[in-house]
Amino acid sequence: MDKKKKYQGRMHGLQRELMERWYRKLHEIYEQDRKEAVYIMISGNPVELIRAFDMEPVYPEINALQLAIRKQALPALLKAEEMGYSTDNCNYVKADVGMFFMNSPTSLGTRIPKPALILCNFVGCNTYIKWFEHLAEYTGSPLYMLDIPFMRHEEPTQDDINYVVNQLKEIIEILENITGRKFDIDKLREIVRKAKIMEELWAKVKDLAKAKPAPFDAYFDSTTMMGPLYVYRGTDDGIRFFEEAIKEFEEKIEKGIGTVPEEKFRVVVEGPPPYPYFRVMRDLLAKWGAVAVQSTYSTVGGIWEFGFRHDENDPLKAIALHMITANLPNRNYLQRYEQIRRYIKEWHADALIIHGVKSCRLFSCGQGDMREFFIQEIGVPTLYIESDLEDPRYFSPAQMQNRIDAFFEALEHKKAISKV
Amino acid sequence: MKIKKLVQDFENKIKDIDFKYLKEYKQKENKKIFAHFPVYAPHEIFHSFDVLLLGLNGAGNEIEILYADARFGSFICSIVKSTMELGLSNRLDFIDGFFFTGICDAARNLCFVYKRNFPDKNVIFLHLPQNPETEHAIKFLESEFKRLIKNLEEMTGKRFSEDKLRESIKIHNENRKLQRKLYEIRRNEPDKLSTYELYTLLRIGNFIPVEEHNKILKEVIDYIPQREPVERDRIKVVIEGSFCEQPPFELLKLLDDVGCHILDDDFILGRRFILEDVNEDNPIYSLAEAYVKKTRYASVKHSGKKYKSKYFIENVKKLKPEAVIFMYAKFCEPGLFDYVLFKKELEKEGIPYLFLEFEEKMWNFDRIQLEIETFFESLIFV
Amino acid sequence: MYFAGVDVGSGRTKMVVCDEKGNIIAKVMKKTHANFQKLVNEILEQALSQNGIKREDIKYIVSTGLGRYSVPYRDFQVTELTAGGFAAKNLFPDTKCVLDIGAQSTRAYKVDERGIVRHFKVNDKCAAGSGSFIVKAAKYLEIKLEDVGRLSLYSQDPVPISSICAVLAESEIINHITEGKKIEDIIRGIHDSLADRAIALLKSVGIEEEITFIGGVAVQDGMVASLQEKLGKKINVPDEPEYTVAYGAALLAKRRFSKLVGAVS
Repeated sequence: MDKKKKYQGRMHGLQRELMERWYRKLHEIYEQDRKEAVYIMISGNPVELIRAFDMEPVYPEINALQLAIRKQALPALLKAEEMGYSTDNCNYVKADVGMFFMNSPTSLGTRIPKPALILCNFVGCNTYIKWFEHLAEYTGSPLYMLDIPFMRHEEPTQDDINYVVNQLKEIIEILENITGRKFDIDKLREIVRKAKIMEELWAKVKDLAKAKPAPFDAYFDSTTMMGPLYVYRGTDDGIRFFEEAIKEFEEKIEKGIGTVPEEKFRVVVEGPPPYPYFRVMRDLLAKWGAVAVQSTYSTVGGIWEFGFRHDENDPLKAIALHMITANLPNRNYLQRYEQIRRYIKEWHADALIIHGVKSCRLFSCGQGDMREFFIQEIGVPTLYIESDLEDPRYFSPAQMQNRIDAFFEALEHKKAISKV
Repeated sequence: MKIKKLVQDFENKIKDIDFKYLKEYKQKENKKIFAHFPVYAPHEIFHSFDVLLLGLNGAGNEIEILYADARFGSFICSIVKSTMELGLSNRLDFIDGFFFTGICDAARNLCFVYKRNFPDKNVIFLHLPQNPETEHAIKFLESEFKRLIKNLEEMTGKRFSEDKLRESIKIHNENRKLQRKLYEIRRNEPDKLSTYELYTLLRIGNFIPVEEHNKILKEVIDYIPQREPVERDRIKVVIEGSFCEQPPFELLKLLDDVGCHILDDDFILGRRFILEDVNEDNPIYSLAEAYVKKTRYASVKHSGKKYKSKYFIENVKKLKPEAVIFMYAKFCEPGLFDYVLFKKELEKEGIPYLFLEFEEKMWNFDRIQLEIETFFESLIFV
Repeated sequence: MYFAGVDVGSGRTKMVVCDEKGNIIAKVMKKTHANFQKLVNEILEQALSQNGIKREDIKYIVSTGLGRYSVPYRDFQVTELTAGGFAAKNLFPDTKCVLDIGAQSTRAYKVDERGIVRHFKVNDKCAAGSGSFIVKAAKYLEIKLEDVGRLSLYSQDPVPISSICAVLAESEIINHITEGKKIEDIIRGIHDSLADRAIALLKSVGIEEEITFIGGVAVQDGMVASLQEKLGKKINVPDEPEYTVAYGAALLAKRRFSKLVGAVS
């Protein structure tokens, strides 16, 4: 049996097609030297606003993770370290900077256009500020620091919202100047309306993982679906992608097909995946019949499963609210605990796996406390493992296997006893 | 006046992780005490409520980390862990509230881990704006300060008074002026004021009421002309990078011993973050404006259209040091990122530099001494 | 006119006196002991007793090494890296990298065209990476330390020492002895393991030819052979490499003095 195909369904093929098309489009902008690329970050991204000016988003994170997943990250990381970047700093940034200075093409062999605007959507991740400050210096392109007030309390204040909306208006002016086109609020409304439809579909996808067995893995397969979610949000292609995904998953539910031969453990995963060992990690869990039914990583760009939707009636406010309230990085650590707690309860999970990422402090700083909270206060079996999202040097397959095996062995034992 | 003795006393006070001095102060004066994590905090606002704001810069190399390692894992800086440890070991029970800002991802997460672990404490987080180019940032920060004011009103039971805040701004302007004067003395007369002394004189300000601090600084400044100079050959350097976690006192003494004449540094940056006097009119707005518009460049604050590395190199070129020493805390993400852009500017200008990493908890300085001396010798023996 | 360099190392203390041309006029080596004052005074006395040097003829003294601040008669002090780099460049003008293996630590560094240290790494944490490890091993093997370097060259079949920790490596050596392995093969195994560590350190500063090998351990021919074999290239080794750092200090003393005199006149 060809092992490589084991996890792949129609959704994966469609995703590849869409992502390749996007890369080709970026390549075209690069070749024709058109001022249409806006660099933005994944987390709580305002892609709708960019699309309203017919500009194309470039997500440096996607470039970095594509490099890692294809096991091509190390030379770029070494290049960055040679330039003085610390081994302890965010490896996404280092991979991206390394690629830039090596002048290397993307993992598909295409080129990334120069930014017409570097729009730093600062949503909690302080490293974003650094990343885009560095890119701005290296490319000489203009930078706008879109400052999003952190979710330091349960609801955003009116001042928070006003601050963001006012900045969005400044960005509109900048985009008008770059494109030479007037801002069309109705066009934005239409994009936001389509984003809302897609969000509805995505929330539905996530809901389907409540089925037993779950028709897709909400860590690994959700990561795959995140590409279209951010690149194609607000477009018909995006809507079609998620309609197809739902169709596929509903079929699987009807036939009782899961992602592993026998679903034995339902887990929630916290933290970004170890991209250089994406496949290895999935195999290690699949071996135990462990399937992710929810993951926090799939919510970095937006949390829609709890009801948030963009509202086309007040599109700027909707974008502001999304950036402030409805994405993981801009929410505080305790809100993340609550998010995970709901996942475990509502998606009927047996365990929590925390993947600590060495070079991402937004995710990992405090995960020891999180682990204690879930074991002591919630009483959920919790496994803590550590590696990196980009740097293959921090992943030891043998050690990882030992930890995972020991955890599920114990869990299996516990299950057997509780059945008796 | 014995500056040496004074400074030694201050060092002892600062290093006391049981905070005996502050506990006595609290009992005697019956005042509330807030603690803030670096870098910046609006001292004036706390002062206007008669709340003492303790500038908590970690726990140095005096504390044994028993619990905090397990909460934070391997790749986190010392100060986050030692601050947690101070709390978990009940040493901060006498503190009434904690103030955090989002200087980096680690510090921000620490704030919320604090909230969970100390549910009875008043823990407040302020979002300090990162977009200095827009006027809206000042308005937004004003609203944040008002939120803090509301919090302090509830905690102290006192009403906010604009007049009192104006008075507080005045006293803190005076404090900043005196601190600038001390820096000027070290820059021009390193024979009369060492880095260790300057640092300790500034840092004690994180522990005592500002009025008292002003009095001390004034006395020291008046006395310095009478001091016997300690003449020797020194290398002029600018130090960059220790804006949050602080190097141990031993390391500061070492910098003096090996012959650093430090023209400028960013130690305990929060105390000197605002470079000019804050306007006393419209005081809340003026404080917000000062943070957005009148601060020194820093690794924890976006600098706007003009690159931070340009601010850095302009400062260096103005001071004309023989070299720059980067002194970053291990795992300090904001600092270690800026380093790459800063050193690029030095290379363009042909200014030698040395990169050092330290941890507040370090005990052995042989290695770092070897590094600094070898570096200096490479400058001297050319 | 003479100039002196004194290198107070963790194992031995060395003094070199040179003349205006840099020729070595006197040299002394003693075991380092806790009474630094006594030690450095004795060593100066002994140096003076050679070739009838008068104290007042020594115009400038530079101290170096671990105990560089404990030399009361020094005019100035430098680190062992600055001194070693300067001497290596002087002895072998094409030197780009220096490897210095002493009793307690190993240092790898790059020097520029003037012999100024540019980039360096020091390993002082691990006892299995420096000379004291060989001293201990010699004790177990019941051979004289000065024979170690020569014996190693006779090895036909080196016994690999795989442990990276000194404590474990020691018991590994004892096992090899009881198993009846040949002494020369064990010694070569030790040299090989030391060479591996030294090369890793060199790589972290960037290997560039030529490499000059100095310090107490460089006396041992077997160690030199092992390094050359593993690097696949020849390395420079000065005569009496244990004195190189002290010699560098003496050369710096000469240089500093002429600069000062030049500045006055």
